[in-house]
Amino acid sequence: MRRVGGSSRTGARAAPLFGLPAAGVVALLLYLPFLWTTYVSFTQYDGLASPVWAGLANYQAMFSDPDLIGALLNTLLWVVGMVTLPVVLGLLVAVLTYGHRWGSWLRLPFLLPYAISGVAVGVIWGFVLQPDGALGQALGFLGLPGAHTGWLQSGPGNTLMMIVAVTWQAAGVNALLFVVGLQSIPNEPLEAARLDGADGFRLFRHQLWPQLRPITTVVVGLSIVGSLKTFDVVWVMTQGGPGTSSETLALSMYKETFVLNDYGQGAAIALFLSLVTFAASILYLRYQLGDAREQA
Amino acid sequence: MRRISHWKALTAATMTGALVLTACGGAGGAKPAADKPVDSLKFYNDKGGWKDAFTQVGAASKKDIAVGMEPVGYSDSNTYTAFIRSSFRTKEKADLFSWHTGKELEDLVDQKLVAETTEQWTKAVADGNVPEQLKQYFTFDGKQYCVPLNAGYWVMYYNKSVFKKAGITENPKTWQDLIAVADKVKAAGVKPFYQTSILFSFVWFETLLAGKDPDLYDALAAGKAKWTDPGVVEVMNDWKKLIDAGYFSDPGAKTEPQAQLKNGDVAMVNFGTWFSGSLNTLKLKAGTDYDFFVIPNVNPALPKTSMIFETGPLCSAAASEHSSTVKKWTDWWVTPQAQTAWANSRGDLSFNPKAEVKDTGLAALNKDVSGDGYRLINRWFEATPVPVANKALEVFGAFVTKPGDPMPGLKKIQAEADAYWAKQK
Repeated sequence: MRRVGGSSRTGARAAPLFGLPAAGVVALLLYLPFLWTTYVSFTQYDGLASPVWAGLANYQAMFSDPDLIGALLNTLLWVVGMVTLPVVLGLLVAVLTYGHRWGSWLRLPFLLPYAISGVAVGVIWGFVLQPDGALGQALGFLGLPGAHTGWLQSGPGNTLMMIVAVTWQAAGVNALLFVVGLQSIPNEPLEAARLDGADGFRLFRHQLWPQLRPITTVVVGLSIVGSLKTFDVVWVMTQGGPGTSSETLALSMYKETFVLNDYGQGAAIALFLSLVTFAASILYLRYQLGDAREQA
Repeated sequence: MRRISHWKALTAATMTGALVLTACGGAGGAKPAADKPVDSLKFYNDKGGWKDAFTQVGAASKKDIAVGMEPVGYSDSNTYTAFIRSSFRTKEKADLFSWHTGKELEDLVDQKLVAETTEQWTKAVADGNVPEQLKQYFTFDGKQYCVPLNAGYWVMYYNKSVFKKAGITENPKTWQDLIAVADKVKAAGVKPFYQTSILFSFVWFETLLAGKDPDLYDALAAGKAKWTDPGVVEVMNDWKKLIDAGYFSDPGAKTEPQAQLKNGDVAMVNFGTWFSGSLNTLKLKAGTDYDFFVIPNVNPALPKTSMIFETGPLCSAAASEHSSTVKKWTDWWVTPQAQTAWANSRGDLSFNPKAEVKDTGLAALNKDVSGDGYRLINRWFEATPVPVANKALEVFGAFVTKPGDPMPGLKKIQAEADAYWAKQK
């Protein structure tokens, strides 16, 4: 667009100056730590002496350490778990309650846990799932088997139970997002479909689901990113144990850095995790948006 | 428009570059500053729960030497360690801070980050304020660093009413007695011993090995024995037998050990004497609600009773600008007057044998242990190098949860130990 008049040209020239403070803050708080972490990941650094260049040693160690490979697999389990359980449950809650007279009240109990922090969720579910905890006692009271199961005491069962705990928290907000998506669907095509006899699952399958695609993209995208950096719940509930059976990459990063003081190794995991998150987000969005464009 | 984008990009790149350079230039050690006396010192520590006791000590020092002490407590040890380590790369140096003996202290000494205290040690030992045998934990290349903050012995705490209910009238003197006591407690429907899969999972390994073969214990800590040696395997199998026999509480339980002991969920807790302070906080009375006894050796043929011992250092940064005040305060800290105030504010022991400890049980233990019948064993957590300890904690955590063949786990620890000791040579 061609600009007319001197004042707007001056304004355009001055604009970057106004952006400088913000750019400075971003550079200081985001780019600089990222560059520093990248550098540290190629060094041996204990947080005290100056970092010593180590080339790719930290990355080699990362892919040859069975515990870190275990953490990688647990992280993948979290991704799969989180893009299925809370998303499907959220979608179900949204679709079943949308348009219902008491819809918002029915959704409310699902939404309430979202107000709690991840750490609190970990503490609550830790008490529920500990041996002879609330779940064990309830099963015992009802005379059902499994009252003495150590839910968090072996992998990968402990990771699955923690995914259930996070689902309890995350399903409600997913339902809310899906409801927003449902509200944006125009009524006319739905009416037309209903007149044509579409109802129940067929209406959902052919009308609602395709039109919910943009919001599903957002919900699934957020779940992927969120699950790749899973830390708080695991730290509170099992600290990655017993052994390293429930450790995720985010936990390994923390342990290497702050427990073992191997800042270089921790930085390498951090960088790898960032790249995986970034790549997963880009690939997923590109795939989704590409499909959407084709359909348009 | 194109020109403006380039301009933007250039600005961003220049700024980032400048910031990187600034950051790189900013790192590095600070020069020792000129001494500036102050009337109060900040004491950074990872013992957030001990705040009240520290505050009382600060008030006592203010009264005695006109220098106060203000505790800055952290409750998460990892956050605290990272904070202290990174503080050395800034101009803000901690005047007083708590730390760990062993490799963690050696790291700071190697980098010349902590103030030397050789003169203070010589005087304190000569005055009888610090036992000579503590010196080794603070000595590197013949010089001393930091002063002791606390000292603790590991004993067996027990719930007196559970013992009464189980009909136990005498404290066990031998390992056999201890197992007999555990059997009686078990028969009364209470789990005999506390055990956990997180952090303190090492306690029973430590007790069994130190009580069976203390020389092997020391050799293992120093990298002179292997984790896969028959003696270690045997101890792991002994441990498994005890777990399988149902002597331990659930290692995954989230309830704190002091609450488990108070509620009578477990009868005995194998912990350091600082545990008295935790029990007192729950309004339990020493000698009435709970008591403790010395854990007998597993091997009755050993000439001395193995006593697990721990001490934590109280350090000061080498480049502190309040060094004269720090010296004045730490000189006071080791005196009987200060240690009496400290021990009684927390209901704990003191490293100073002249401190008047009000808790009669603890006072008697302090006297007993300084006699000839005991062999002091450095607590496993401080004795073992950090990466080896961390790997072992993972293995122990899994072992207490699901005890099986110990060898695969021991091999993992040995691999970590091999890597660690290879780097030290």
